[in-house]
Amino acid sequence: MEAKPKIVLFQCQWCLYSEPDQQWVENDLPKSMHLVKVPCTGRINTLHVLNAIQGGADGVMISGCLPEKCHFKEGNLSAMRQQDEFANLLDYVGYEKERIRFVWLDLQDLGRIQKELTAFEAAIAELGPTQNLATRTPQAIRGEHA
Amino acid sequence: MPEIKEKITTEIKRLLDEGLVDVVIGFKKEESPLRPQPAFFRKVDDLADLEYNGLCQNNLANYLTRYPPETRIGIVVRGCENRSVNALIVEHQHPRENLFLIGVPCQGIIDIKKIIAEVGEEISEFNEDGDEVILVAQGKTHTFKRHELLHDSCLRCVHPNPVSADVVIGEPLPEGDPEAIRETVEGFEALSKEERYAWFKEESERCIRCYACREACPMCYCTECFVDNATPRWTESDISPAGTQAWHLIRAFHQTGRCTSCGACERACPMDIKMTYLTDKLNKDMYDNFEFVAGMECETQPPFASFNLDDKKRFVV
Repeated sequence: MEAKPKIVLFQCQWCLYSEPDQQWVENDLPKSMHLVKVPCTGRINTLHVLNAIQGGADGVMISGCLPEKCHFKEGNLSAMRQQDEFANLLDYVGYEKERIRFVWLDLQDLGRIQKELTAFEAAIAELGPTQNLATRTPQAIRGEHA
Repeated sequence: MPEIKEKITTEIKRLLDEGLVDVVIGFKKEESPLRPQPAFFRKVDDLADLEYNGLCQNNLANYLTRYPPETRIGIVVRGCENRSVNALIVEHQHPRENLFLIGVPCQGIIDIKKIIAEVGEEISEFNEDGDEVILVAQGKTHTFKRHELLHDSCLRCVHPNPVSADVVIGEPLPEGDPEAIRETVEGFEALSKEERYAWFKEESERCIRCYACREACPMCYCTECFVDNATPRWTESDISPAGTQAWHLIRAFHQTGRCTSCGACERACPMDIKMTYLTDKLNKDMYDNFEFVAGMECETQPPFASFNLDDKKRFVV
């Protein structure tokens, strides 16, 4: 693939404890990655994920807090159940489920998010651009097409 | 079949006479014997119209959510309808004490589309005799074996008997084979990625977005559906590929752990779109991962309404 794969990162606003990582995600994310900050991974509806895919994303990454460390006690657990099953359903109709990845981040993991994103980008680049699942008519996001 | 109809009538008459319920939901005759319609009996006099046979297509649990919780409802339930009612009770859509379930073990629903394909739509008489279905069309009598005309989802039915009815009318039937659904799903999973997508594309993109499947489904009771929502607009609401694909995926996904495989969605579909292969897959996963079958009792919350630290952890990196 010539162009870099487009990745949408859904990030729980509580999971990145370390200041430099948070700064990097907010300010220095590569152009091919799109950040969506959410109050908790439990807030992520499967419609958000499907919208990202149909909007032209090649991969979706969800980063949340460790199972026992959710800010809202249990949001990330129900999120995992739903997103996991949704990925299975998409896989069932012919979309690769490797394109959706869930990552738990911990307090000690300085620089982990960069590593995860690089690895994910490489995995998606190997899979190539999405073939299965139709994309929406492009909508302008902040004046440019996402 | 006529004797079962008699018994149902007697039971409903008793309920209405004794004032145990305000309304009874059942089926009534229509001009064409092919299409009995849902009916709401409040008076004993109306019961002359009552109908019960294999042509009753609707899932009557669908009408439960249209009454306020204090209404005492009697309802004629077959196996799948009983499970739908249970699933609705779990979601607090109606209190169990205000429901009276008249259970009927179900021999399966006959697919009108199969009859029309065989003998046309001009049916003047319809009779069931044990395993045989006798039709009179344009003066000629046709006899079919019941399983030749059954709806696809009824051929795969696992629980034909009501699971928590207050009164059961008729003899219990043997349980179905759960392997039938499993084999269908696993057969589909065994296909290549491209073949699966081609099938999904073919099925979903025929959709004309009439939402008959949503209206027929007892579990689709949201006052505002995600496809009707204009701000934010979640999916394209026309018949574009992206819009129809999103509708079919999300409609099925919203049924995860709630669908009772009654097949009402497929029977309602004017475009003859297969939909149960999606919900069957989700049901199978719910059983494999959480040992959950929707509607078997009215206590346990569906898997997506609860959580557990011991969940299988594919996603955890």
